[in-house]
Amino acid sequence: MDERFSDERYILTDEKAALALDVLRKRLNRQLEASLEVCVRCGICADTCHYYVANPKPEYVPAYRAEQLRKVYRGLFDPVAKIAPGWAGAAPLDQDMIEKLILSAFGSCTMCGRCVINCPMGVDTRHIIRTARAMLTAIDMTPEGLKATVNVHLQDGNNMGVSAEDYVETVEWMEEELQAELDDTSVKIPMDKKNARVMYTFNPREVKYFPYLISAAAKIFDAAGEDWTLSSENWDATNYGLFSGDDDASRIIASNLEAAANHLGVDTLVMAECGHGYRSQRWEGENWVGHRYPFNIISFTELQAQYIQEARFKLDPSVNDKRVTYHDPCNQARNGGIVEEPRYILRHVVQDFVDMVPHGAENYCCSGGGGMLSMTEFAKERIAAGKVKADQIQATGAEIVATSCHNCLDQLDEIKRHYKLKVKIQNLSELVAAAIIWEKTES
Amino acid sequence: MDSTALTGILALIGVGIGLLGLLLRINEIMRRPFKEDLSRPRGNVRRGIVYAFTLGMAPWEKESTRKHWFAYIRGILFHIGVFSAIAVFLVSPWLARLPQWLVWVGGAVTGLGALFAFAGIAVRLAGENERVLSLPDDYFSVFLTATFTAMAALVMLTGRGLTAFYIVTAVLGIYVPFSKIRHCVYFFYSKFFFGAGFGRRGVIGQPKGRFSE
Repeated sequence: MDERFSDERYILTDEKAALALDVLRKRLNRQLEASLEVCVRCGICADTCHYYVANPKPEYVPAYRAEQLRKVYRGLFDPVAKIAPGWAGAAPLDQDMIEKLILSAFGSCTMCGRCVINCPMGVDTRHIIRTARAMLTAIDMTPEGLKATVNVHLQDGNNMGVSAEDYVETVEWMEEELQAELDDTSVKIPMDKKNARVMYTFNPREVKYFPYLISAAAKIFDAAGEDWTLSSENWDATNYGLFSGDDDASRIIASNLEAAANHLGVDTLVMAECGHGYRSQRWEGENWVGHRYPFNIISFTELQAQYIQEARFKLDPSVNDKRVTYHDPCNQARNGGIVEEPRYILRHVVQDFVDMVPHGAENYCCSGGGGMLSMTEFAKERIAAGKVKADQIQATGAEIVATSCHNCLDQLDEIKRHYKLKVKIQNLSELVAAAIIWEKTES
Repeated sequence: MDSTALTGILALIGVGIGLLGLLLRINEIMRRPFKEDLSRPRGNVRRGIVYAFTLGMAPWEKESTRKHWFAYIRGILFHIGVFSAIAVFLVSPWLARLPQWLVWVGGAVTGLGALFAFAGIAVRLAGENERVLSLPDDYFSVFLTATFTAMAALVMLTGRGLTAFYIVTAVLGIYVPFSKIRHCVYFFYSKFFFGAGFGRRGVIGQPKGRFSE
């Protein structure tokens, strides 16, 4: 057994095996069965994966990862596998398989979907990997950091345990800072404003470590003349249930955000620059809660692009005069279709924008997705896989890497230091806020 | 009854068993719950599905098939060869009546398919990833299909070996639902879900959006 999983909770008992298999049985829908059955093991997916590109081992081929769950599936459902398991590629869910599943599903896959869009057969490896994660989570074999992140969110209402007092104080502090920066006391950060048009959310990292992003967002909303508000409760855009595979936790977290938007009676819920948060609430949330939301959901990236297109404020791109490239968060671009918006924004707020190769839906994952940053057990592999992104960045000659996701931001910052890249990592909203020509003055 | 007629009946029985097995597979997947997507579409779902089954299969549309274009084309030609071999089986009682040009074209296409099918086995054995990924069933399935295709080409081009071709057809027919070859059914499901999912999110098969410049 890998020493990283020597803890007692990683020991497979008969009860745990039965429970994990039950999860597989219950989650086996038409979509999952198609993906489990259709793979022909051609291996063409190998170099679509950043883990494999950085370290070309068969274990990092997406088909190999998915094959681990397939073996368990065949053992349960394939009649040939019951007679000749070796011939048909079946294996029991034993301790050895558990380790393989942990390493495949949690340790070396960010569920970025790059292999999915590149598979000639249409295999949804994201779906397979999330199912494997769900099975492991059901038997308490989620890596510690990821488990704790979900638990803290369920317990405290946000994934970093920010207290209500700290949150409100930070927002008030940023309001004062923004007023001072703009010399304009009319700029406000509204809290719990009923029937505002939009409600904005945060990644708790913004509140705790990057509060200047709160004022950047406020500046954009104010300059656009938006009728907006924050919620004092349930303001966290993240949902690590997406990564743990735990649909119950995912549903509770998504419901909390829905409740906040409903309580305030807003028309649109705007997801912070958080890739997985956007994907969770925009694309998965309604499926988790089992009904359609009575409001719209858009990402802050989409909204900023709309503001610029509608000329809601004037921009001076000369303030962002360095070369900028953009890293597409997988959960926004490949898994959400937000490809044109960030480029539209950057072409208006910076002087020199250059794309990475490849980019958009084909962009490589930074390796920080899939909850990987919370799973310190796999940090070494994560940084190694980040080499692909580091090379992509370096090839652009950019001095600034813009992105629209906090996990990406943190991972890019880490690989920047590790691979000694001379770049600055910034959120889109920082660049937009900086380029806004402030016209309002205190009366 | 001569041996050709007897093996022909065997082949029909084998193909019948194969089709029945595939129908049972379809029945099985249709009995699984269908996960309806409640999220509001950003793109057009139908366009995504159409793309998945048409342009999305073009070798230049995916990075993987652009990089590994030869492997992809090899696979495509292999499959064209298989379809051609199936056609040979269906017209086998009337082969003598086929026009000569069709015999040569059909024989060439089928033969090329067989060649690429056998090459597929070599690729699986030569590549480390492919070796690690491959199951005994993968080798046997490709071998059986390659043999079926090669026999069809032989029958088409020489008019000989029909008895052996029918025997191989019978074995292949029976084996299909129990082997990886059953992906011929699941392919349509997975491509449909792929097109619907990414089409809904506006990732594939969509016209340029309002922010395109």
